[in-house]
Amino acid sequence: MSLSATDVLARPEEVTGSPPRAARRRRLPDLRRWISPLALLVLWQVASSTGVLPPDKLSSPWTVLQAGIETARSGELGDAFAVSIVRVGLGFLVGAAVALVLGVVAGLSRWGGVLIDPPVQMLRTLPFLGLIPLFILWFGIGEEPKIVLVALGVAFPLYLNVYSGIRNVDDHLVEATTALGFTRWERLVHVVLPAAVPQTLVGLRQSLGVAWLALIVGETVNADAGLGYLITNAREFLRTDVIVVGLIVYAALGLITDALVRLIERRALRWRGN
Amino acid sequence: MARELIARVHGLTKRFGDRTVLSDVDLEIAKGEFVALLGRSGSGKSTLLRILAGLDAEVEGEAEVTGTVSVAFQQPRLLPWRKVWRNVVLGLPGRGRDREVATRALAEVRLDGHADAWPRTLSGGEAQRVSLARALVREPDLLLLDEPFGALDALTRLAMHRLVEDLWNEHQPGVLLVTHDVDEALLLADRVLVLGEGDIVAEHQLAAARPRTLSDHLDVRAKVLADLGASDHATA
Repeated sequence: MSLSATDVLARPEEVTGSPPRAARRRRLPDLRRWISPLALLVLWQVASSTGVLPPDKLSSPWTVLQAGIETARSGELGDAFAVSIVRVGLGFLVGAAVALVLGVVAGLSRWGGVLIDPPVQMLRTLPFLGLIPLFILWFGIGEEPKIVLVALGVAFPLYLNVYSGIRNVDDHLVEATTALGFTRWERLVHVVLPAAVPQTLVGLRQSLGVAWLALIVGETVNADAGLGYLITNAREFLRTDVIVVGLIVYAALGLITDALVRLIERRALRWRGN
Repeated sequence: MARELIARVHGLTKRFGDRTVLSDVDLEIAKGEFVALLGRSGSGKSTLLRILAGLDAEVEGEAEVTGTVSVAFQQPRLLPWRKVWRNVVLGLPGRGRDREVATRALAEVRLDGHADAWPRTLSGGEAQRVSLARALVREPDLLLLDEPFGALDALTRLAMHRLVEDLWNEHQPGVLLVTHDVDEALLLADRVLVLGEGDIVAEHQLAAARPRTLSDHLDVRAKVLADLGASDHATA
C-alpha cells in the first residue's frame, strides 16, 4: 500500500478528531490535479513559440498575458468591464424582482398558480436567446435589449425554483404551527418562506449562470461598448490575444458570482449542517 | 361529584368521502385527567385527536375544548431553521423571542445544553423532548399526544414515559394520549379507552397509584387486548 503526499498531509487532522466540517475546510488541495492543466498550458506555449499555432488563430499564453496587462493599463478593459457589469446587474435586478413576485404569488395563492404558472411554463420553452431579433426591433440596439435579455434569462429559473420551493413546503410543519395558534401571516413568515429558501438559492445560482450567458450573447450580437464589444472589435484586427483576455474575464466573473452565491448559501443554510 | 370538564365530545361523526371514520363518538376529559385512547391503525384515533386540536373542522356533532390546547405529534415537527430554544417558545406570543422561558422549559426536559443547537443535530429522543417542551410551555389545559413515542427506540421510550409522567404531575394538564401500545397506556393513564370501528367500544378506569410497573394491571391488560381483538399468549 502506498501513501501519497496529500494522504499523509490529511491524516493528522483525522486523528485529532476535530469536527469534520473544520477538517474539510483546512485540508490542503490535491496538488496533483494541477499537473495536467499546467502541462496543457506549456503545450500551448510551445505550439505557439514553434509556429505550429499561428497567432491569427490563437495567441500564445504569454501574449495573452501581455494583452491583458496592456488593455488593463489603457483603461480599455476596465471600461468594458464596468459597462458589462452594469448591464448584467440591472438585468438581474429586474428579472429577479419579477420572478420573486410571480413565484411567491403563484406559489401562495391557488388562483395565482392557476393564472400565472401556465403562461410562464409555456414561455419558458421558448429559446430566449432566439428572441434577440424581436428585441432589436422592439428596443433598438441600445442598452435595453441587452438588459431585457438578461432579465428574461434570470427570471425563468428563479421563478420555477421559488414556485416549487413554496409548493413543496412540508405540510406537517404547517399543521404543527397551526396547532400552536399561528395565523396565516405568521405561517407565511415563519414556515412557508423560510422553507422555500434552499430551493430559491438553487434558482439563484442557475439564474446567475444564465445571466452571464445572456449578456455574452447580447453583447456579441450588437454592441458599442462592454466586454462583448471588446471581443468583436478585436476580431476585426485579428487580435486573438485580446479575444482570449475578454473570454477569461467572462469566465472569472461567472466563477466569482457562483462563489458569492455559495457564500450566501453557507450563511443562510447553516441549519442544514453538512 | 361534578367533574370540571376541559374537553367534551358529543355525537361526533367524521366522514372522508363515503368512508365513516368516526361515528357518533362521545368522550369527556376532566381537568387534569390522563386519558389514553387505544386503537389499531386506521381506527380513527388520530382523526379524533386532530379534531380536538382544531386541525379538522369539517365534522358532524360537537367537539369542544375549554382553554389552551397543545399537541405533540409522532414526529417532532420542529422548524429546522430555528434554533432549539426558539422552537420551544414558538407557541407563545413572541413566536420565538422569550429566551428565559425557553431555557426553563428545556431544563424541565433535561436539554439545558442544547438551547443553541439546530434541530437537525438532535437525536430522535432529544427532538421529541423539545417537542414536548414546546407543547408544555404554553401551559395547556389539554395536552394532546399523538403517538409521541412511536418512532423512538425501546430504551428512549421508557425514559420518555417517566418524563411525561413527571411533567404531567408538575403541570397537571388534561392529557389525551393516542397510542397503539397497550403497556404504555396502562403505565400512564387514569382511564383507558378503546376505539374500534369508529366508536369507543370499551373503557377501563385504573387505580391512581403511581409510579406503576408493567405487572400492575395485568387483569385490565387482558381485557384491553380482548377489546382490541387480540389474544395475549404471554398472560394467557
